[in-house]
Amino acid sequence: MADLRTEEFVVNMGPQHPSTHGVCRLVLTMDGEKVVKIEPVIGYLHRAIEKVCENRTYMQCIPILDRFEYVTSMSCNYVFSLATERIAEMEVPERAEYLRVIMLELNRIASHLLFYGVTAMDIGALTPFLYGLRERELIIDLFEMTCGQRLTYNYIRIGGVSRDIPKEFEPKCREAIKIISEKMADYEGLLNENPIWLKRTKGVAVLPKELAIAYGVSGPVLRASGVQYDLRKNDPYCIYDRFDFDIPVGQNGDCFDRYMLRLNEIRESIKIITQALDGLPEGDIKNKKSRMTYKAPAGETYTRIENSRGEMGIYLISDGGKKPLRVKAKGASFNHIQVLPHFGTNMFIADLVANFATLDVIMPEVDR
Amino acid sequence: MGLIKKVPVYTEKIPGGAFVLTSLETVLNQGRAKSLWYLLFGTACCAIELMCTGASRYDFDRLGMIFRATPRQSDLILVAGTITKKMAPRLRRLYDQMSEPRYVIAMGGCTINGGPFYYDSYAVEKGIDHIIPVDIYIPGCPPRPESLMEGCIHLQEKIKKQKLLDWQEK
Amino acid sequence: MTRQELASYIVEKYGDLMKPLESGKYDPLFVVEVDKLVDIAQKLKDDENLKFDYFCNLCGVDTNENFEAVYNVASITKNLRLDFKVILPYDKAEVESLQSVWPAIGWYEREMWELYGINVKNHGNLTRFLLPDDWDQGFPMRKNWDAPDFKRMPEK
Repeated sequence: MADLRTEEFVVNMGPQHPSTHGVCRLVLTMDGEKVVKIEPVIGYLHRAIEKVCENRTYMQCIPILDRFEYVTSMSCNYVFSLATERIAEMEVPERAEYLRVIMLELNRIASHLLFYGVTAMDIGALTPFLYGLRERELIIDLFEMTCGQRLTYNYIRIGGVSRDIPKEFEPKCREAIKIISEKMADYEGLLNENPIWLKRTKGVAVLPKELAIAYGVSGPVLRASGVQYDLRKNDPYCIYDRFDFDIPVGQNGDCFDRYMLRLNEIRESIKIITQALDGLPEGDIKNKKSRMTYKAPAGETYTRIENSRGEMGIYLISDGGKKPLRVKAKGASFNHIQVLPHFGTNMFIADLVANFATLDVIMPEVDR
Repeated sequence: MGLIKKVPVYTEKIPGGAFVLTSLETVLNQGRAKSLWYLLFGTACCAIELMCTGASRYDFDRLGMIFRATPRQSDLILVAGTITKKMAPRLRRLYDQMSEPRYVIAMGGCTINGGPFYYDSYAVEKGIDHIIPVDIYIPGCPPRPESLMEGCIHLQEKIKKQKLLDWQEK
Repeated sequence: MTRQELASYIVEKYGDLMKPLESGKYDPLFVVEVDKLVDIAQKLKDDENLKFDYFCNLCGVDTNENFEAVYNVASITKNLRLDFKVILPYDKAEVESLQSVWPAIGWYEREMWELYGINVKNHGNLTRFLLPDDWDQGFPMRKNWDAPDFKRMPEK
């Protein structure tokens, strides 16, 4: 059988494919069931967000950037606000900083719960999807209570946050994170001892450390490969340096590690939220200078934060005018898709789906 | 005519055993309206709300809506999210691959007229009705699951009113 | 190494090649000659005290007077961040590819070429990927770019 001659053929996966998480297209060269070559084709969701931002005032940019990475809109709001604040050297009230941390971490949990459900569904288990999205709704309720939107929040503004949390937020939030931390055992119980799940993820699609660094991979995918690099610790922003939390690190860099790492991150986020709720001070929620017609002084900076997918960055250039001169948005998924052809080959096409799912790629971040 | 032979079997279960008389149109429309299988076509933000609608809390299945991954098995294309100029030919092709009768729901501002990208985006198609005919528009950025379900109920009502040969005339 | 220490270290060691810029806020920003770009990038990566091994972002800019390409790099081992930029005149918008130093830059350079029309030498794979395949309306991110369905916000 060894000298049986086979012929390579091309399979087109996407752009409309349920497991490509949006509209990514992969042109696969196959040898039987094995993938020989991957050629990602992107741009199906290129909405010109950067050009649109150049045409808006600073405050008007924030709702547009919500759509840049809609699963964690809070971090998009935050990274743009932080960039403007760094250029303007603007002070942010203490209470606003605490509220920002709470919202960012709640959003991270929501994103990881979505990841948990969707990844399992891609690999063929439908039940985790229902479990993950059930608890995600609790967090969405909290956001809705605060800013009135379920997905695109426009909550974190330049110099603070748009409004204070309602009175019932704190008890509801504590209850929600209590429920989620209790349900973590369920999530792990559903998958971690499932032999099919283990076969599909353990040892599959190992991303070596050196390759990950060379291709600018960040976030949980980088940490799963054994690099302890989290911007919340390594390049602290906001008030993350006041909280006590750990950075989970993986060993092997395979699909299972990437999945497990995200579940562990939910636990750490719960720790941060609990501390932030305990220490939440009274006071203003917005800098006095923060108005709808806000203009930043001239300057430029690259600001990066750690969102649930990895490094999210904004390169903001202001010339002192009403509108920003340039807003360049960088998303972690751009690098994750770029590295895929370099380690995703020589595996079954079904494993490629598992690999793609655990990279947790989201397409608007790639195409913008 | 297996159906006609079976009619007495079904009606016996009705107390009194009476016959139910109705038009073929109603039976067909009822069947079509109550089992709308939709094509999973999520491109952007609205896709997340579509997922939420399909998940535990909102339970889309109770309207008879079940997602399909292929256009050949679906009756309804739920366009959830921005359609860019690069994606537009693919949307048209997917629509063409569906079999009649087929329905289209445009979910969210982007699919109606470009939404937040209406004025100054060079890459977004300003409304999917330039590409395919739309039955129901659901505004919102993104619409809440409740409004999506409301839209689907409106579509069901529309289907129930249609005449037997309506779709053939197109 | 703090941000100030990093800035003064670079001025001290590479002062003849990299000039600090006042406009850079928070992290240090330098301006670099175009023809020494690859050389400097390699030096930044190899320097024992810097080890800029991680590429964050490449940003093309149209400032209404000229083009710029801004490189944002970081060091995982030394935990540092640095920006440097090259200034390119409109009539000679061309940079050398830095893929040999940071492989991650490949797609960013492609994007810059596609949206700004800044040519990248020795790239090897400069093909369209964000815009539609049949795009014929020029380079949309340039400031003077215009199209019938593109409405500019009024200045007042």
